[in-house]
Amino acid sequence: MGALQSVPGHPEYVDLAEKTGFSFEQIGILHKRFKQLSHNEDTLLREHFSKIPNLECNPIRSQIIGAFFDRRNFRQDGEGTVEEIGFEEFLVIMSHFRPPTLHMTEEQRESVRRDKLRFLFNMHDTDNDGTITLEEYRHVVEELLSLSEAMEKDTAKSIADAAMLEVASISMGHMEPDEFYEGITFEHFLKLLNGFEIESRMNVRFLNMDTTTLCK
Amino acid sequence: MSWFTFPVDNLLCRCLSISITCLQYWLTLLFVFIIVPTVLGVSFGVCGLYMRTLLKIFEVSGILSSKKNIRPTRLISTQRAYLGRNIELWATSRIEKEAKEKNQQLYKPYSNGIIAKAQPSSLQQELLEVRGSAGGLPSEPEFEMVDIFFFCRRGVESILDDEVTKRFSAQELETWNLLTRSNYNFHHFSMRLTVLWGLGILIRYGVLLPVRVTLAATGISLLLVFTALVGLLPNKKLRFYLCEKVHLMCYRICVRALTAIITYHNRENKPKTGGICVSNHTTPIDVIILANDGRYSMVGQVHGGLMGMIQQAMTKSSPHIWFERSEVKDRHLVAKRLSDHVADKTKQPILIFPEGTCINNTSVMMFKKGIFEIACTVYPVAIKYDPRFGDAFWNSSKFGLVCYLLRMMSSWAIVCSVWYLPPMNREEGEDAVQFANRVKAAIAAQGGLVDLIWDGGLKRAKVKDAFKEEQQKLYSKVLVGEQEVGDERDNTHSEDTNQEEDERIQLPQMDNEDTVNV
Repeated sequence: MGALQSVPGHPEYVDLAEKTGFSFEQIGILHKRFKQLSHNEDTLLREHFSKIPNLECNPIRSQIIGAFFDRRNFRQDGEGTVEEIGFEEFLVIMSHFRPPTLHMTEEQRESVRRDKLRFLFNMHDTDNDGTITLEEYRHVVEELLSLSEAMEKDTAKSIADAAMLEVASISMGHMEPDEFYEGITFEHFLKLLNGFEIESRMNVRFLNMDTTTLCK
Repeated sequence: MSWFTFPVDNLLCRCLSISITCLQYWLTLLFVFIIVPTVLGVSFGVCGLYMRTLLKIFEVSGILSSKKNIRPTRLISTQRAYLGRNIELWATSRIEKEAKEKNQQLYKPYSNGIIAKAQPSSLQQELLEVRGSAGGLPSEPEFEMVDIFFFCRRGVESILDDEVTKRFSAQELETWNLLTRSNYNFHHFSMRLTVLWGLGILIRYGVLLPVRVTLAATGISLLLVFTALVGLLPNKKLRFYLCEKVHLMCYRICVRALTAIITYHNRENKPKTGGICVSNHTTPIDVIILANDGRYSMVGQVHGGLMGMIQQAMTKSSPHIWFERSEVKDRHLVAKRLSDHVADKTKQPILIFPEGTCINNTSVMMFKKGIFEIACTVYPVAIKYDPRFGDAFWNSSKFGLVCYLLRMMSSWAIVCSVWYLPPMNREEGEDAVQFANRVKAAIAAQGGLVDLIWDGGLKRAKVKDAFKEEQQKLYSKVLVGEQEVGDERDNTHSEDTNQEEDERIQLPQMDNEDTVNV
């Protein structure tokens, strides 16, 4: 710790930093943002998120907000949803979006990858049965697309169906005519996105406020 | 038992008489040294000296707050850090000095940003970037499973940092100005700093606040008394003339009461009769600041109580436009009354704030188009407050008006700059919304504020569903392949009474709207 870090008054930042990997300065700024969103309360509710205009314009806002209140994302092996979250949970969810650091082993990279993909999987799998069914996938696609103009009502459905077929063929190989594809499991999901460098795509471009170089 | 109460009675009487004489001396001093020069428009230059002293004190507090408990074992690294911090402070003050010499206002963007600003790019480009690593031909307009990452990332980024919610809370400062209320980031307390802060509290609450409250009370009572007296005069012309003088006196006293140090720029562009003066809105005090330098007709709702009396007093000298609560909803009635007022060339310019609500003086939000539909000259005015001396923003969800005024009167001062911009007229083929945006851009550019398209009404209301549908439309277009780069339409306007959408061609997306990059 150097002279520029504002740790006094917030000893809990040390724990949080270890748990989530953010620097003290980033945690401080995120804490301020948390307080701004929650109007200085200790917990965030869903309606606090609805005050953000940019988020309101996002087609999948309910999924994103839902992810914040989903206990599966709190890294504590919980299940179900909560109605309010504290700063620690907020940070944990944000840490899903941290970019991988420079010095990471293959294993660490792989675990970061799984972590991010798990987050996305949870976003699709709303009933927490471990598979993304056709219904669930169709729901997400409908949210993304407009129900007017360029798209007809059934287009969303057909896109979802086509995507599921593609997944089925990739993961199950050849299927019998009366075999029923239940849904995308997490393993299938991983296989599907095998070539995709999610660890460098699904992260927020955090400002690099690394003050450790100054103080070493 | 009467002999017992007698000395106590005596003591009480003596205390009372002493306090009355003190009060008399106090009021006389105030009258002679502050009120009379104010009314006559004479200034002793005390304010300039006060400002410079305060700035020096803030510099010292900045240095004190960056010094930490320096542990002897880590001396070298902390010295370097300390040196670095000092150089930063010195550099900042150099930049400020230069800007001041050139008479420019520097707007410092938030130094505590979270997200690195990327190059603004279109929806299609970003999608391609996200898809690119998933393999497959990037030119195929297909739905890809990975597209959802893009929206997910955008959503989380807007949770972390968006342009709108931070406009509705007070601006953050670079260095602490010794007011507890602006103490957001500064937790490094040393003994010296605490002493300085304690002294500040004594001076502000013990000396400045009583003086200011007395001045304000005097100003308002003088206004009411004199306008009542002047109203008894028979001669109409004399009445108007004297009323104007009384108003000027009252505004000057109120300005002193707030210790508002105002610099007016470009006074040759001051609003003239038959026009409308528009300005960005930060606080109700804006009215006093502008009215101190010119005569305007105010527009507003009729109130009861003290405000109602003041409104009636004001109407005696000049035609202000007060609406009953029921009339406010009728847009046509409002527009008609304003047009009639403007058409009469003998009447003063109307003063109006098109944002409709108070914003925290770091940005200018959407101007409501109603006032720009009236055919007349518009005189834009930009007001920029210096946040170091006191935060002028009225956060109406946090404090009521009286609480706010007390906070104002216990700050160091209210320092602001007012720029009168050249008059603007609506051009051929320009509709009200485009005109409004042109005026807004001019005000933002002059005041060094960020020009936003979002509606200030978002402070209280939610975003309309139309916006979400817009994003869906955009994405659908990309998939269908109609989209070409550089031809995107973003609907970002909202009206509270009119549901019409404004189609504008906009290059960056909704979260990259800063047109003033500092």
